[in-house]
Amino acid sequence: MSAVPVIRVDAVSRWFGSVVAVSDVSFDVMPGITGLLGPNGAGKTTLLRMMTGLAATSAGTVTVFGESVRDNTPLYKRIGVMSEHETVYGFMKGREFVRMMGKLRGVENLDAAVDKAIALVDLADAQHRSMQTYSRGMRQRMRLAGTLVHDPEVLILDEPLNGADPRQRLHFKHLLLQLAAEGRTIVISSHILEEVEELADNVLLIVNGKLAASGGFRAIRAALNQRPYHVRVICDAPRKLAGAVVNLPSVDAVHVDPDGGIIVLSRNVLDLQVELPRLAQKESVSLRRVEPLDDSLESVFGYLVEN
Amino acid sequence: MGSVYLLSLRQLAGRWRLSIMTVLAAMPVVIAILMLGNGTAPSVAQFETAVLSAMLSGSIAPLVVLAIAAAAFGNEVEDRTLANLTLSPVPRWQIALPKLLATITVAGPFIAISAFVTAYVAFLGDPRAAIAVTVSAVVAVAMYASAFVWLGLVSTQAIGIGLLYIVLWEGFFSGFVSGVRLLSIRHYSIALMHAMDARRFALADQPGTAAAIVLSSVVIGGFLFLTIRKLRAMDVP
Repeated sequence: MSAVPVIRVDAVSRWFGSVVAVSDVSFDVMPGITGLLGPNGAGKTTLLRMMTGLAATSAGTVTVFGESVRDNTPLYKRIGVMSEHETVYGFMKGREFVRMMGKLRGVENLDAAVDKAIALVDLADAQHRSMQTYSRGMRQRMRLAGTLVHDPEVLILDEPLNGADPRQRLHFKHLLLQLAAEGRTIVISSHILEEVEELADNVLLIVNGKLAASGGFRAIRAALNQRPYHVRVICDAPRKLAGAVVNLPSVDAVHVDPDGGIIVLSRNVLDLQVELPRLAQKESVSLRRVEPLDDSLESVFGYLVEN
Repeated sequence: MGSVYLLSLRQLAGRWRLSIMTVLAAMPVVIAILMLGNGTAPSVAQFETAVLSAMLSGSIAPLVVLAIAAAAFGNEVEDRTLANLTLSPVPRWQIALPKLLATITVAGPFIAISAFVTAYVAFLGDPRAAIAVTVSAVVAVAMYASAFVWLGLVSTQAIGIGLLYIVLWEGFFSGFVSGVRLLSIRHYSIALMHAMDARRFALADQPGTAAAIVLSSVVIGGFLFLTIRKLRAMDVP
């Protein structure tokens, strides 16, 4: 991995009148896939628009490959951007659209590049149809082909999975992983957190216009050590185990579930992992399943938003 | 540049717009025929004031151009496809200029045919007068197009603002307040028409021919420059 960041966001703020959309955000993006997460209205799209040069910053700088991205049109030969808006030119056929995008971006050997981009999004069969007749997912994929046609080194994708069905999502994930493996830098925003979790090497969590956390998913988890974890324990004697577990130093509270399990609240889940099996053995309780209830990005994200 | 031009042509040549333009462009021709058929044919000065200046250059041409030009950027701002163009590695003038040319390409023929036929009928087949009227009308189209393309980029209310401008500035003030003529596209156009056929049209112009040529160029170039500058500075939705 290169030590020089591909994208550098340095103390960036953006306000609209008295409304602060993004406040003093700084981070670096390296090659690989970076997920940008946050609730609606958190400032993700504003931040992405500043990263692409579509919007100006009120303060701070955004550089891509060391150059300011704002009003730097030659840089767009190296960047592919897919905005969240799904509008397409309804009067165009899919291939026409990708071809126009390639021509605008100065692609040489245009027909081959168009063929390749359309094949990447698996829409060769529909390329000669009017985009007006496409489903939402197909439009998104053809827009992605238009974004990929000039073979950009940096991809910035705002909610690209909108409207995609499960098969398309799977295809999209494989495609992004393939593009990242080729050395590209990809920034993807999404509200489908599980998929970002599967895709992204790094995660940027934006809450109320501020960078709430950044780093690998596990690093973010480590940074949230103070957060209580909920762990569901399924066993053959839940009330007996609950009575014993509540005395463990790593446990804050225990709740007996109506369905027979117990929910343990712990701020030190590492100790709990060690202590729980020992305790069960000591109490002659048979553990059937131990599972974290909130180990997804969704729960981490919810916690950050609430706090 | 060709891609933006072709894209813009397809965007602007919608069926409803062409229908409106056809109806508007036919009006001066119909009026000319009615005036001549009335028995009491108007003088050249009367015809020029009522039909060529007030109607063709001051109303029909700007209305037709407004219907087209306001959409040149306006529709892309509204449906948020403008980013497809602004995220391409081309200088902004290569986006603004094709948009202007596409607007002139779509609106120009309607006004040119309307102007030529109107003048040809009114001046009983005099080709020189018809050509003078046609060329001046096409120059007016270029000026209005440059102004309204810019307007469509800077305001989501371009049609409303454009209509106010046409009615109040070009239609009312420039007809009654002599100083306003120095800042009126309609009067630049008429001054050019006079210069091209001084034999038929009066020469008591305000502005004069030289000023009209310079000011026409300033309007076309100035608004194109403002459009390019706006494209560079704006937040693209």
